[in-house]
Amino acid sequence: MATVNDEFTREAAPAKSLRTAVLLVFLLYFATPALWVLFAITKNPSQIFTTFGLWFAQPFHFFENVSELFSYQGGIYARWFGNSIIYAATISAVSTMICAAGAYAFAKYDFWGRKALFSFILGTIMVPNTALVLPLFLLMNKLGLIDTYWGVILPGLVNPFGLYLMRVFWDSGFPTDLLEAARLDGASELRIFWSVGLPLMPTGLVTVALLSFVGAWNNFFLPLIVLNRDSLFPLTLGMNVWNSIIHSGGGKPIYNLIALGSLISVLPLLVAFIFLGRYWQGGITGGATKG
Amino acid sequence: MKKQSKIAYAFLAPFLILFVAFYLSPIVYAAYLSLFTKKRIGLRAAQDVFSGVTNYIRGFQDVNFLTSLKNILIFGIFQIPTMLIAALILALLLDQSRGLLMRVCRTIYFIPYTIPIAIGGLVWGCLYARDLSPVNQLLSTLNLARIDFLSPSLILFSIANITFWTWTGYNMITLFAALKNIPDELSEAARVDGAKRWDIVWRIKLPLLMPTFQLLFLFSIIGTSQIFAEAWVLRPIEYVADNITPNVYIYLTAARDTNYSYAAALAILLAAVVFAISSFLLRKLQPH
Repeated sequence: MATVNDEFTREAAPAKSLRTAVLLVFLLYFATPALWVLFAITKNPSQIFTTFGLWFAQPFHFFENVSELFSYQGGIYARWFGNSIIYAATISAVSTMICAAGAYAFAKYDFWGRKALFSFILGTIMVPNTALVLPLFLLMNKLGLIDTYWGVILPGLVNPFGLYLMRVFWDSGFPTDLLEAARLDGASELRIFWSVGLPLMPTGLVTVALLSFVGAWNNFFLPLIVLNRDSLFPLTLGMNVWNSIIHSGGGKPIYNLIALGSLISVLPLLVAFIFLGRYWQGGITGGATKG
Repeated sequence: MKKQSKIAYAFLAPFLILFVAFYLSPIVYAAYLSLFTKKRIGLRAAQDVFSGVTNYIRGFQDVNFLTSLKNILIFGIFQIPTMLIAALILALLLDQSRGLLMRVCRTIYFIPYTIPIAIGGLVWGCLYARDLSPVNQLLSTLNLARIDFLSPSLILFSIANITFWTWTGYNMITLFAALKNIPDELSEAARVDGAKRWDIVWRIKLPLLMPTFQLLFLFSIIGTSQIFAEAWVLRPIEYVADNITPNVYIYLTAARDTNYSYAAALAILLAAVVFAISSFLLRKLQPH
């Protein structure tokens, strides 16, 4: 039969409405926290308490909230934002290069211990975070890295999942024939990696860089354990300190700042998601379906 | 081949050095540390004394630790199936949909995953707080009693909701991608044979999704055992028990009580329990 009778496959109208209804209910559910934030940033603290959380209140306080956010406690919010950028950008750039080089070795060289080492590194992805972070604290205490930028950055550079992803990209994106040809031309191994291989890996590099940027930006447990001085905090930690202040005795109910601060802290992620979402989802599903 | 090995290890060196320094050695150090306890001898300050598996035995008898394990077990039994089935249903529904609604839903469902749990949890905390919650605002206009989302009887549910909100979209996108990987010819052939729309979903697509589904199930078990920030960010708002999840309890044992060796033993115990459960389930799930 050349043409398929569409009667069999067309969905009945009630089924279609049900499907749309379910999708819309979940849409509302997933969007509710964002909606609350969007309304809360236009209110002052007393309006947040006295007016309905999922609608506007008069008068608007958005611009006052912005200036209060950046002046509260001597303008420490901007500092936290800068810290998050420092942590995430450094970790993302350096760990991506480290993963690219390491994965290149696994993908393109035959060396002693290759298989066993790769499985071992992959296996450690399963190790629970606490088993890692608590002893890390003690270790870094001895190294004098507690309460320093390095204390957050150095452990963040280790990214076994990034190594795995980069290997998938090297395996499929850089033909060994090309490597051999470059060798015949007399190029050094480092030069082949840098000038022949890496330029073929834009998708892989962007994917790993993006995922590690997001991972570092979102990290909470490690900075919580490593950092004491609030001048070194990333946004995730800083916002939660403000939340604690609200609820400690005599604290000001700065829910307006919590809402606006939360929103601004996720803006870089939303921008990255809008422009690089393709890489993002590719990295996640590539890891999940091929793993 | 010897030269090849050298070059390979040169490329690997930066990764390996950091891996050993900040990944492997902490784990080994934790295992070592867990074998010591603090003992006070005479009037001198307490000293670390080797004491074998004492910390592990104490862990098995620690009511707080066992309660935290029980909490997370109950949490997992309800939360993981709810989340994965919702993700599966949403992925299948989106797979059947076209156009703007489908694209908007796919994006909005996924966005919570991109938001730090420490921030998402903070906002949910505001939505739970007794005086702020829009749900309670609605209830009080209707003259109904308010709900205490952070009361001991509801706290696990409230944490589970944050987890559901964060991870359902991630699971959905992964399943959705797996659905898109199923060749169209399969559904096409079934359609020619007279299969109806949902027959194709049930008999062809669902079975092909199972490997991805199992993998997500495993990830969920490991993730559930690690829950920390979701519970931690709610603590300032209202009383949340120290033993609400294993990680909260282990963190407090280390950071507040500075009992590092006992915390290390508990962390290893937790890892062992999770490893046992997940390998048991893996074997159960894969018949061959």
